[in-house]
Amino acid sequence: MAKTEDNNEKKVFPYCRKISFPFSVNVRFPGDLDYIPAVRKFVSELLQVSNFSSKFAYRSEIIVDEICNNAVAYGCRTDDAQIELVNSIFDDRIEFTIRDQGGTKDNLRRLKTAVKTDADGKKEQTQQGLGLEIVRMLSERLDVVIDEENLTSVHVVRKREDDREELRPSN
Amino acid sequence: MTTQRMEIDIQEVPGAEGVAILHFSGDLISESVRRINECFSAVGKKGKTYAIVDMTEVSLISSAALGEFMGCRKRLIEQHGDLVFSGLDLEMRTKLNLMGATKIFRIYTDIRTALNSYKWEIERQPEKIHVSFPPYLKIVPPLRQLVSRIARQKGYGNRDSFRIETIVDEICNNAVEHGKPGADDLIDLSVIIDPDKIEIDVRNMSDPDKVASLTALLLPENAEVDKLKPDVKRGRGLTLIKMLSDKLSVECTDRGTSVRVKKVREE
Repeated sequence: MAKTEDNNEKKVFPYCRKISFPFSVNVRFPGDLDYIPAVRKFVSELLQVSNFSSKFAYRSEIIVDEICNNAVAYGCRTDDAQIELVNSIFDDRIEFTIRDQGGTKDNLRRLKTAVKTDADGKKEQTQQGLGLEIVRMLSERLDVVIDEENLTSVHVVRKREDDREELRPSN
Repeated sequence: MTTQRMEIDIQEVPGAEGVAILHFSGDLISESVRRINECFSAVGKKGKTYAIVDMTEVSLISSAALGEFMGCRKRLIEQHGDLVFSGLDLEMRTKLNLMGATKIFRIYTDIRTALNSYKWEIERQPEKIHVSFPPYLKIVPPLRQLVSRIARQKGYGNRDSFRIETIVDEICNNAVEHGKPGADDLIDLSVIIDPDKIEIDVRNMSDPDKVASLTALLLPENAEVDKLKPDVKRGRGLTLIKMLSDKLSVECTDRGTSVRVKKVREE
């Protein structure tokens, strides 16, 4: 019955195409904290319409919040700085890439230290905030690329696993 | 216990003529009040009406010094400016909160955020948001919510935000419906917002089969409200946008379609 309704809908509205993976949604916004609540909610809703669970969406929202806050706080030097968030959505995962103009040398050094892991995959003990640690706990992969002009790009991969052991300790 | 001598460094901001950044350091005790006053008088003589007080290096602030800041703020507000704080640590912020100062002064995390606020409120500089997305109808509801939330966050009222949301919904739905299908042909949504108005621009690749019918639809004689047929259930989108906005322009060519809407803030 549901299938017939679906077919009828497609006849009336042929543009109601089913989402096919992978696809990508890019958001570019000013480097201002004001924008982060709206952006994190947008990513959460985007995941939910892509058939990810609300739990997955909520935890991804936390990742977005952390990486966007870091980008605004440490990756914006000029008044007109913009942040670009690329959401690449696959049927089994979401990948976030956030790009900013890069912060001061001190900020970059702190970022590198916060991301650095030793050969066993364990994080070095630092006095940094818990932001990236939370991101690491909620994701499968976290990489940072800093180019020659200090442009910083943080890449996070989070896999769809409804029964995964969430919030496992990182070491 | 010895007190640290208060130091003040005044910095001008290129490109923001009315702004002065005052870097304070040390202890702001009652003996500092006279110097604070002199400093703000000097700032005022230079024609600066918006003072950002950087408290990153301040270790103590007395109630007398806070009172002096309140007096200075009052003078700046009379000249349509303001005095705001930035760079307060958690301890200092808690103390100001206990003194009730957070109800009077606006406090920003850093100088850049304070400057952004100045540029938004006083210079009324626009800010730009850009989203590119594949032509799937299901993505439109999160998008309309995104723009509506941003409008609310930026101080727009509920009615304005809802109308903006409706406009975004209509033009994005049209872009999905009439644009070129295929996930590779992304739709671009640009939003330029300032305290007085919002401009929305949606661009998509045109579906070659629909260009002629779309161009005919856009002719002025077909867009009048009284030409709408009551028995036809669809095709009211652009008319609705016209009613809700202040300016609407549509450009449809073989290469792409661009819909631009301007909505002036009402509340």
